[in-house]
Amino acid sequence: MSQFVYVVVQLSVILLIAPLISGIIKKVKALSQKRKGPPVLQLYIDIYKLFRKDTVISDTASWIFRATPYINFTTALLAGILIPVSLKLTPINFGGDIIFIIYILAMGRFFMALSGVDTGSTFGGMGSSREMAISSLIEPTLLVSVFTVGLISKSTSVHDMMSTLSSIGLNIFQPVYIMCFLAMIIVIIAESSRIPVDDPATHLELTMVHEAMLLEYSGKHLALMELGAAVKQLVLITLLVNLFIPLDSLVALDNALLAIGISILLYIVKVAIVSILIALAEINTVKLRLFSVPNLAAISFILSFLGFLQYFVVGGSHG
Amino acid sequence: MNFIDINLHFLLMLGFYICGAIFSLIFIKNSKLGNILSNILYSIASSSGILISLFYLLSNKEYIQLAHIKSNIPFLSFKLGISNLSAYFILTLSILTLCVSIYSIGYMSQYYGKRNISSFNFLFGIFIVSLISVFSSGNMIIFLLAWEVMSLTSYFLVIFESGHTETQKSGTLYLIMTHIATAFLTVAFITTYSYTGSFDIVNNSALIPPFSKNMIFLCLLIGFGTKAGIIPLHIWLPYAHPAAPSNVSALMSGIMIKTSIFGLIQFVFVALGGGFEWWGITLLIVGSISAVLGVAYALMEIDIKRLLAYSSIENTGIILIGLGISIYGFTKGNSLLSSLALVAALIHLFNHSLFKGALFLGAGSVHYSTHTKNMEKLGGLLKKMPYTGLFFLIACLSISSMPFFNGFISEWFTLQALFHSIGISTQGVKLIAILAAAVLAMAGALAAACFVKAFGISFLGLPRSTEAHNSMEVPAPMLMGTGLLSFLCIIFGLFPNVILILLNKISLSIVKTSVIPDLKGISSFVYYPKGLDANKISPMFLFAAGVILAAVVFLVVKLINRGTKERTYGTWDCGFKELNPRMQYTATGFSKPLRIVFRAIYRPSRELQTEEGTSPYYPKTIKYVVLTQSVFEKYLYIPLTGLFTAFSGRVRRLVQTGSVHTYLLYIFITIVGLLIYYRFSNS
Repeated sequence: MSQFVYVVVQLSVILLIAPLISGIIKKVKALSQKRKGPPVLQLYIDIYKLFRKDTVISDTASWIFRATPYINFTTALLAGILIPVSLKLTPINFGGDIIFIIYILAMGRFFMALSGVDTGSTFGGMGSSREMAISSLIEPTLLVSVFTVGLISKSTSVHDMMSTLSSIGLNIFQPVYIMCFLAMIIVIIAESSRIPVDDPATHLELTMVHEAMLLEYSGKHLALMELGAAVKQLVLITLLVNLFIPLDSLVALDNALLAIGISILLYIVKVAIVSILIALAEINTVKLRLFSVPNLAAISFILSFLGFLQYFVVGGSHG
Repeated sequence: MNFIDINLHFLLMLGFYICGAIFSLIFIKNSKLGNILSNILYSIASSSGILISLFYLLSNKEYIQLAHIKSNIPFLSFKLGISNLSAYFILTLSILTLCVSIYSIGYMSQYYGKRNISSFNFLFGIFIVSLISVFSSGNMIIFLLAWEVMSLTSYFLVIFESGHTETQKSGTLYLIMTHIATAFLTVAFITTYSYTGSFDIVNNSALIPPFSKNMIFLCLLIGFGTKAGIIPLHIWLPYAHPAAPSNVSALMSGIMIKTSIFGLIQFVFVALGGGFEWWGITLLIVGSISAVLGVAYALMEIDIKRLLAYSSIENTGIILIGLGISIYGFTKGNSLLSSLALVAALIHLFNHSLFKGALFLGAGSVHYSTHTKNMEKLGGLLKKMPYTGLFFLIACLSISSMPFFNGFISEWFTLQALFHSIGISTQGVKLIAILAAAVLAMAGALAAACFVKAFGISFLGLPRSTEAHNSMEVPAPMLMGTGLLSFLCIIFGLFPNVILILLNKISLSIVKTSVIPDLKGISSFVYYPKGLDANKISPMFLFAAGVILAAVVFLVVKLINRGTKERTYGTWDCGFKELNPRMQYTATGFSKPLRIVFRAIYRPSRELQTEEGTSPYYPKTIKYVVLTQSVFEKYLYIPLTGLFTAFSGRVRRLVQTGSVHTYLLYIFITIVGLLIYYRFSNS
C-alpha cells in the first residue's frame, strides 16, 4: 500500500511541477529584460493545446518515429519514480539504482536521436548528431559525481545516498559536495538543453540541438516530447536538490502525513530556487559555440574529479 | 544430475561437427544439398553442446577428463577435459554456433555456383572443433595446437572471398598478427615448462620465481592481447572482420577473440596462481584504453562491418576491465570483489557474443540484400527489411547497454565492480579505478552515439542508393538466426539470473568465493555493501513498471486527444521542391562534431578537389574526402616494419653472401661450437 502511495505521490508531484520550471525560468528572464513575459503556467496551456491538435507525421518516418514520444516520456517517468521527491516517503521496493537511472535516461535520448534521423530531414540528423556528441562529453562528469557521493554513502541506491547526505547536516559545506554540486549543475544545463549549451528558445539552424530533433513532431507527439523533456529536467533537478540541499531531516513531526506534506513543500521551494538560479545563469551568459561546449564539459569533469579527490584525501565525513 | 554421460555426449558432439565437415566435402558436386546438410548437422551438434554444458554447469562435477593420450616423449601427451570455465565458454560458443549455422543455410545461398562452398563449410566445422579443443585443452601443447588450427582455419575463412586484393591483404595481416601472438604464447609456455617441468595447466606457481612470472605474464598479455585486439595490438581486427563473410565474422568476433580471455583466466588464475597486483592494474588500464579508443574509432567508420569490428575492441576492453579488477581483488585477498568482477567479465563476454553475433549477422543480411557495407549507400532499410531492422535495433540497444537488454546487465556489473574496487583499493589504484569508471561512462555514451549512427543511417530515413531502394527482406533461415540471438538479448536482459546462476561454480573454483548467492530472485540482484532493500535492481519489475506506465500514458493521451486526426505528409524540405536523400545527414556528417572535438586522436585530414568550370565560383565538380588516420599504424607499425625490413636486408647482405665457401664455414663453426658445448655440458 505504502508503495502504491509512493508511486502516486511521486508521479503526480513530478508531472505537476515539471512544466512549472520552464515557466519560472521564462518569467525571471522576462523580468530581467523589463518585459512582462508569458504567465508562469504557459507551458501547461501549450501542452494541453498541443494534445488537442491534429497530428502530422512525415511519410518518410517509420514506426520508430511514432514510438519515440511514448518511449521518451515513459523512460523519463521511470527515472522520476526512482528519485524520491521526499525522504519521508517509503521508497519503492523494485528499485533501480543510480546507474539504472543514468542509463534509462540515455535510452530516451537514444530513441529521440533515432527519431531525428528517421524523417530524412537535415535538421533532424544535425540535432541527433550534436545531442549524442554533447551527451558523451557530459556522461563521465555525471558518473564521477554520483559515484563520489555513492562512495561516501557506500551505496549506489539513490535513496541511500540521499539519506546519508541528509544525516550529515551542516557538514554538507565541504569542498567534495560543493564541487559535485557545481559539476551536477553543468550536467543539468547540458542534459536539459539550456543556455549556454543549447538555446531552447531558438529555431535557428546553426544553434539548434534539442529542438532540431523535434522539428517534425506535431500534436500529441510534440506534447509528449515537450512534457518528457520537462520531466527529465525536473528529475535531474530533483536528484541535485535532494542530494545536496537535504532539508528533510529538519522536518521532525509526529504526524507522518503532515511531515510528507511539508517536506514536499520544501522540495518545491528548493526546485523553485534552483530554477531561479538556472534562469540567472541563463541571463548572464550567452550560448556557447558548439565547439566550445567541450571546454564546459571539461570544466565540469574537473570539478567532479576534484570533488572525488577531496573524498580520496580526507574521506567522506559523516557529521 | 548424473543422468547423462557427459563424456560420451561430448565426443558425440565433436563427431557431429566432424560429420558435418565431411558431408560438406562428400557433396562437393551438389553444393546446395551439402550446405544445408552440414549446417543442419552443425546445429544439431551445437544444440547438444548447449545441453551438455548446461548439464555440466548445473551438476556438481568439478572436472571431467575426456581423453588422455600419453607417449614416451616426455612432454608429448594430449589431455582433453572439461572444467567449469571451459563448459561456460562451450555454452557461449554453442549458442552462437547454433544461430550462425541456421543463418548460414540462407546466407551461403548467395555463393551457390560462385565459390567453393563445400570447402568453406568443411573449414567452418574444423574451426568450431578447434575452438572447442582450445576450451577443453588440458595441457599447453594441445592448447597451442588447437590455437594454431583455429588461427589457420579462420585465416582461410577470412579470405573466402579472395577475389578482392583487399581481402587477401587483410588475410595476410591477420595471419602475421596471429602468429606473433602464437610466438609470444610459445615463449610463455616454454618458460613455464622450464621451471615446472610440466605442460599441464595446474597451479605450479610456487616453482616459478617472481621475475619469470612477470615475464610470463607479459608474454601472455601480448600473445592473448593480440588475439583479443587490445589497443595497440588491434590493427588486424578492423581488416579481418569486414573481409570475412558475415557468419564467420560473427563467430570470430563473438567467440574467437574470447579465446584470449579464456586463456588469460586459465593461465593467470590457474597456472600462475593469481599473480601480482600490478597485473590486475595493467589489465584495468589496458582495458580502459581499449574501451574508449575502440569505440572512438568505431564512431568514425562508414563501413558497417568495420564499425562493428572496432566496437568489438571496445567490448574486449570492458571485459578486461572486469578481469583486471578481479585479478587485483584476488591478489589483495578480497575474494568477494574478485568474484564480482569475474562475474562482470564473464557475463559481458557472454552478452557480447549474443549481441555482436546478432549485429554481424544483421550486417550480413544487409549486405546480402543490398550488396554494400557502406552506410553512405544505405538508408530506409527498416521499411524494406522490417524484421532484420527490428533484430538489428534490439542488438544496437543491447550493445549501447540500454536497460532491459542484456548489455546493461554486464555494464551494471562492471560499474559495480569498479565502484566497489574504489572503496577497498590502495591510494593510487583508487584514482585509476575512478578514471576507468569515467572512461567506461564515456565509452557507453560514445557507443550509444555510434549505434544511433549505425542504425539510424542504415535503416532510417530515405534510401541513399538504388540498391538500398530495391532491397528486400532476407530468407527465413537468416531471419531465424539473427532473431534468435536478439531474442536472447532481451531474455537475458530481463532475467539475468538465468545465466548468472551458471557462474556460481566457476567463481567458486577460480576465486574460491561467489557473489551469486547474494543475487536473489529470478530477475533481481542485490548488491551487498549496504544490505538495504532499496539497494537492488530488478530489470523485470522495472520493465513491468515501464510497460504499465507506457500503457497508461498511451490511454491517457488517447483520451485527451480524442476527436483529433492523424495524417501523413512530406518532411519539411526547406521550401525546395522535393526531399531527396542527399539532403539527409550522412554517416560521415553524423560523427563530425566528435571528430572535431577529438581531433587530437583522429588527426583527420581533408582533401578538396575542384574541377573549374567557366567561372571559379561555379566549379564543375567538387570532390571532398575526409580521412581519419589510424595513429597506431602510422606511428607504430609502419616505422616498425620499415625498421625490420631494413634490418633483415642488412643481415641478409652480411650473412647470406651467396658464396658456397662462406656457407661451408658456417657449418664448420656450428660443428665446432656443438662439440665444445657437448664437452662442457657433460662434465
